[in-house]
Amino acid sequence: MAREPLIDQKFLEKLERLTIYWQKSFPGLVGGHNASRFAGPGQEFLDHRHFHQGDDLRAVNWRAYMRLDKLFLKMFQVEPRIPVRVLLDTSKSMSTGAVTKFEYARKLAAALCYVGLVRLDTICIQPFRETLGDSFQCSGGRHRFVPAVNFLTNLEATGHTSYLQVARQFVSSYPQRGLVVVISDFLDNEDAEKPLQYLAEFGHELLLIHLWAPEDREPPWDGELELIDAETGSHMEMDLDSGARARYTTAFDAYARRLQVMAQRNGGRYVGFPTAMPLEDAIFGSIIRAGGLQ
Amino acid sequence: MFFLNLSMMEFMALFGAASALVVTLYLLNRSRRKQTVATLRFWVSTEQPTVQKHRRKIQQPLSLILQLLSIALLLLAIAQLRLGSREKSGRDHVLILDTSSWTAARTRTGTLLDQGKAAARSFIRALPSSDRVMVVRADGLATPATGLESNRQVLEAAIRESRPGAAALNLEQALAFAAQVEKLHASRAGDIVYVGTGRVLESDGALQATAVNNFRILPIKDVVENCGLRKIGLRRSIADPGLWEVFLSVRNYGTVARNVPIGLQFGGALVGSRRLHLAPGKDEEATFHFRTRAAGWLEVRLLIDDALAEDNRAILELPSQKPLKVDVYSDEPELLRPVLAANALVEADYLSPSKFKTDRDARITILDRFHPPQLPKGGIIWIAPPAQGSPVPVRATVTNVPVVRWRSDHELGTGLRTKQWKLESSEVFAPAAGDISVAEVEGGPVILARPSPSRMVVLGFHPGKSAMRFDLTTPLLFANILRWMDPEAFRRWEVYGGTAGTVTVPLESGVGPENVKVISSNQQNLPFTMHGQSLRFFSGTPGTVRVVTADREQVYSLTLPEVGEAVWQPPASAKRGVPSRVTEASVRDLWPFLALLGGLGLLIEWLLFGRTRFHVAGAERLADGNPLRRAS
Repeated sequence: MAREPLIDQKFLEKLERLTIYWQKSFPGLVGGHNASRFAGPGQEFLDHRHFHQGDDLRAVNWRAYMRLDKLFLKMFQVEPRIPVRVLLDTSKSMSTGAVTKFEYARKLAAALCYVGLVRLDTICIQPFRETLGDSFQCSGGRHRFVPAVNFLTNLEATGHTSYLQVARQFVSSYPQRGLVVVISDFLDNEDAEKPLQYLAEFGHELLLIHLWAPEDREPPWDGELELIDAETGSHMEMDLDSGARARYTTAFDAYARRLQVMAQRNGGRYVGFPTAMPLEDAIFGSIIRAGGLQ
Repeated sequence: MFFLNLSMMEFMALFGAASALVVTLYLLNRSRRKQTVATLRFWVSTEQPTVQKHRRKIQQPLSLILQLLSIALLLLAIAQLRLGSREKSGRDHVLILDTSSWTAARTRTGTLLDQGKAAARSFIRALPSSDRVMVVRADGLATPATGLESNRQVLEAAIRESRPGAAALNLEQALAFAAQVEKLHASRAGDIVYVGTGRVLESDGALQATAVNNFRILPIKDVVENCGLRKIGLRRSIADPGLWEVFLSVRNYGTVARNVPIGLQFGGALVGSRRLHLAPGKDEEATFHFRTRAAGWLEVRLLIDDALAEDNRAILELPSQKPLKVDVYSDEPELLRPVLAANALVEADYLSPSKFKTDRDARITILDRFHPPQLPKGGIIWIAPPAQGSPVPVRATVTNVPVVRWRSDHELGTGLRTKQWKLESSEVFAPAAGDISVAEVEGGPVILARPSPSRMVVLGFHPGKSAMRFDLTTPLLFANILRWMDPEAFRRWEVYGGTAGTVTVPLESGVGPENVKVISSNQQNLPFTMHGQSLRFFSGTPGTVRVVTADREQVYSLTLPEVGEAVWQPPASAKRGVPSRVTEASVRDLWPFLALLGGLGLLIEWLLFGRTRFHVAGAERLADGNPLRRAS
């Protein structure tokens, strides 16, 4: 039985006009889509210089040699890319809800990946839960989108999240600064704010995409319940009423607000929406409004 | 409407208890709906409402009502609630089918048991279908063939498969059993029905008193003309071991005198015949003699044609009589010949010591003042062994000394008390541990027995070389020695033909329970009781039972049928014959419907209020307006 595609073709066509946007200048790299003035491997010619022993013979300007009987080396304009890293939460908490956050997050990650590939950005999809999982890096155009979709399709939501561990590992694994898009419900038993702050302080630009299932924010249940944590399996017995639910929603909103403040304070952006929102509305509405895409 | 298994009070008590339990469990129920959530952190961080220890009110009354209703329906099903009145409900009958040996008697229309089966089937077919019947086969034991069963096919199969037994009817026991079944297991007592001729043993307690309620008899017309063997006894003549003495007891159960020819065959050859005149209701006895040492089958037959053929013929297995072979190595065999010839079972061979061999098949060897190069096999009687080669050290040689002590408490010294023996010359032995001193002089033992490795008796003197050979003690001493050495050869065999059931065996004086074994044909020990000098055991099936005492073996071939001599007269209050066909009672079993409804109620309650239902509903509610479906 053929698996349903993550994103249909019509939606992909709509995505082609978008660009992943970041606002920070990263040291050593020229951001955005501007060409670099640094010489190096590339397509565009930059300058000539004298040939020195050990230089690549393939870059010798043989026509100039024939005319001038001197060896000149052609230099090209380097095309550095700001690395865009999509940190995708694959913990068990992402699998709760009638339509799981994980499914929604995969589609969103696929959409961002496609936008990046169209603009020849280098996209790294980095799943995480307790630690970082195996990553997938793609670049070079839209024809690389299918392997990215396959990678996303094979992911599973299990285990529990540890943002602190993930942040430490991320910083040590990716010393080069770049844009970090975090797609998660940010539901860690410990606080997720400090590890994210740590990433920002290290020099990464954060784009936090906060997903929640409708019942994550507004529990629909009433009466006697035994609540089980999807990640840890811990239990809590409760007698739910409207007051308790209202207090819960308030606490949830306060947490989302703290995440937003933390992101904006560090030059990043925050966008949060429920999985009940259509993906198209989320991308062309919330994310563009937040400045994640242009 | 009535309860079959429970009274109204019992039902109410059970229902009350179950309802109270359900309500209590409902109120105390702490099992909550389980809900998996992404995180508990916001529940922990916010102030939560107090968790109630108990439910203060019934939150889902319909669920509780459904549960209670279902329990009530299931309890009613267990109580076997029925529509109708108790008087119209089925009754439980016990049908005692006489399967005693007498029911094998032939009539013009088959056997008595065939008539009994037909009457039993008629009775069952006349009963309403709601009545239950237990079929009990009765002979010496009352054996239930079915439980209280309403399935007529099962009952008829049990009747059809009944066969005549080997024992006489024990009606007292069968009636007591039926009364107990009616008392303990019947929901509504029906009739105790006896089908048979009522022929019982004279010792049957039913002849004295029959106090059974609801008693019904289906009488079978009895046959009366029959003669049969009652007992057969065989034993070897004491004087002549080759001669068998046969005792017969024959009874005329009929009402007219008969002349009955009797024939005895051994190994197919006629060995005796006689004609007995049997008065009605009387026993006659006859004695036969025939000679054989061989083993074989003795057939005793009444050469008549009467109602019961099974008691006209008996076959008994006779054991062979093997002689006790004794080799005597002596230069003076004439001294020992009279002693050994006195015992008819002994077959002695007299040989010169120079012809000594160890490979002969003698079971006992007598060595007369002779030391063989190698000891023979089997028992050894050693007379005056040479001092150098004596198996027992010779302490001294004495002359003209009297025997002062006999070991009378041992079987070797049984009956030996004489003090008149004066030994002209004798060796006195030095006994070893385990040796038995049979006779002693002042200086020590002169006759010594050694039980192992093979039995050996050593005499320090020759009993035939003095005046002792004219003494009665000498053959008695040798008889004791030979019996001690080979007790099997001296075992007395008695064979009896009798009937299965309780057998009483007369015993000799001095035989205790420790010396008795009662062994069935499959070599298992049967339990027995002893009262004074008689032993009693019970064998429910035909077969051979051996009663073994010290030197006596009695073989009981219990193949003759046990036939009752008396005819039981049923009480005047007993109903007779097959009842007239009763119209079908208008009682309906409701329990299957009640059980179905109860189960259905529980299922509905689970579907409506169960946890799964909640989850499904919740999932459906959340899935409404799912944006992702539209997006993808």
